[in-house]
Amino acid sequence: MTCVAGCDVGSLTSKAVIMDGDRIVQSVIMKSKAKPWESADEVMRQALEKAGMSMGDLAYCVGTGYGRDKMTFINEAVSEIACHGKGAQWLVPTARTVIDIGGQDCKAVKLDDAGNMVKFITNDKCASGTGRFLEVMAKVLGVELADLGALSAKSKSPVTLASACTVWAQADVIQHLNDTVPLEDIAAGVNAAMASRMAVLANNIGVARDVCMTGGVAKNEGVVASLEKALGVRIKRIRKSDPQLAGAIGAALFAKEKVDGGMR
Amino acid sequence: MTAPMTGLAGLCADVRNELIEEAMGRGMIPLGYTCSMVPRALLAVGTLFPVRMRAPGVAGTECADVYLSSVICSYSRSLLEFALDGRYDFLGGWVFVACCDHLRRLCDNLEYNAKPDFSHTLDIPHRGGPAALEWTVEELRRLARAIERHFDVDMGDDAVRAAMVAEGELVDALRELGALRKKPQPPFSGTDYHRVLMAAQSAPPARALELVREFREAMGDASDTAPYRARFLLVGGSLDDPAYTAVIESQGGLVVADRYCTGSYPWLDPVDAGGDPFVALARQVLDGNRCPRMMEGFAQRVNYIVDLAREYAADGVIIQSIKFCDTWGVEASALVTALREAGVPVLRLEREYRQSGEGQLRTRVQAFIESMGK
Repeated sequence: MTCVAGCDVGSLTSKAVIMDGDRIVQSVIMKSKAKPWESADEVMRQALEKAGMSMGDLAYCVGTGYGRDKMTFINEAVSEIACHGKGAQWLVPTARTVIDIGGQDCKAVKLDDAGNMVKFITNDKCASGTGRFLEVMAKVLGVELADLGALSAKSKSPVTLASACTVWAQADVIQHLNDTVPLEDIAAGVNAAMASRMAVLANNIGVARDVCMTGGVAKNEGVVASLEKALGVRIKRIRKSDPQLAGAIGAALFAKEKVDGGMR
Repeated sequence: MTAPMTGLAGLCADVRNELIEEAMGRGMIPLGYTCSMVPRALLAVGTLFPVRMRAPGVAGTECADVYLSSVICSYSRSLLEFALDGRYDFLGGWVFVACCDHLRRLCDNLEYNAKPDFSHTLDIPHRGGPAALEWTVEELRRLARAIERHFDVDMGDDAVRAAMVAEGELVDALRELGALRKKPQPPFSGTDYHRVLMAAQSAPPARALELVREFREAMGDASDTAPYRARFLLVGGSLDDPAYTAVIESQGGLVVADRYCTGSYPWLDPVDAGGDPFVALARQVLDGNRCPRMMEGFAQRVNYIVDLAREYAADGVIIQSIKFCDTWGVEASALVTALREAGVPVLRLEREYRQSGEGQLRTRVQAFIESMGK
């Protein structure tokens, strides 16, 4: 058994995946700590513990995410943009456009037929179109972040938020709450605002089929459905694993390539 | 960091650095300018010397924000902040170009609030041609007359020609130094070269020439740049902080060529000092600049970048511009398309004047390198 690992430390969550060949042996998702190296150590420790392994059992480990340069145990750091592309292609082999919405950034990656990244775009320094946007809105609405998608599915008359800016949208949401608009209609409006912001980004690199979505927000069915509407294409749902793990899976796959290639 | 590098980093870190102090100690007068369209030679006559205006280490723009709207670029904003803080009081005066609305607002507010002893704005047309040349020659003569009156220096043709010759020597030395980056393993990094350029733009030309020669000698023919994954051509507007280049290079990139306003281009094109010096300088301003503010010449600007990338064996082009920069914002969008059509990998980055978002920059550069299969 030649096991490799991928560790993805993001701004909100940290993920670790241990793979043996083409199989995920173990994975962990946890809330990130203040210091990225502590998050990396902890998420990796948990993954190894669950797998009954130690660091010495890993042939190669790739780190990614904003904390990648601070990881002490990795053999190599790869950008999260490349890792999400790689991971998405493993999760959905026909994927040519990958849309990833993370905690504090979002990106669209275009892949060639071999799954190599050929083009990418990321958001600017703004919370609009990121997981943070949804987090802020969920808090204002007084609902759990994880429930936003299911809530919005019940909407009969979604509101339209005047702006995708987190601050202005928050003011808009408060206004709708004051006007006693049903929560599900506001939630649907929030998801639609998020999707329209993301669609602008994705259209910038030219959306090619198949499209898939990674990151924690991919689990919000309301955003996925709104994005499908905004882009005019169907988004392939990820069934093989948790879409939030895509970056860590991609990192593990890069590690596997290293091992397969004799660690050149 | 080697000794000459340490010295250069120090020179870049302060707007009133030791080269400026040294020149002022010898009775020389620094004149600030904010745009590559200002002919440096006209600011280097007699006891005058040109200083490219920067705001290194600016921490915030709270005072400038009172005067400038939220869509004015952070370069103009930072300069006004420093001006309001009295950080440019050492200058003998300012020379602006009506190149963009942002710098025009800076000029307005600076004149209103800081009341510099000397402030002059050049009105350069947005098109070339004989009428534009005639206009620009007169504009440059108008600047020369204003300088002559205010500073009591001889701005006659011979004096201007002498300044052009001195500037030409500096330009030649910098161009030769920059050409060493064509080597597969250049003797210095893009960050080093960026530091040299910035130091050279804040010293009298003769002193800057010494500095360039000292640097060249210290570098020797060594090929001691760190191993790199991809060679880049860095393009865009004003970029005066070598730390930005350093971040690009920290990810395995090597900046081997540049075409940004404060970089080696456009001011490193040789200017013939023979004939009417004002006509020669006007031609350089109008035709040699290839600035996106000009209404014409987009194809030539694209070709220049493509040729430069080939000449320096750049694997890709990074276009950077400051947020809200209309000139480069519009140009960059069209450039990205044109360069991709020409088969040149390109990464477009927006930034603030002050170094920020380093993590995001690192990720994008690293991903760009990875996308090229490097």
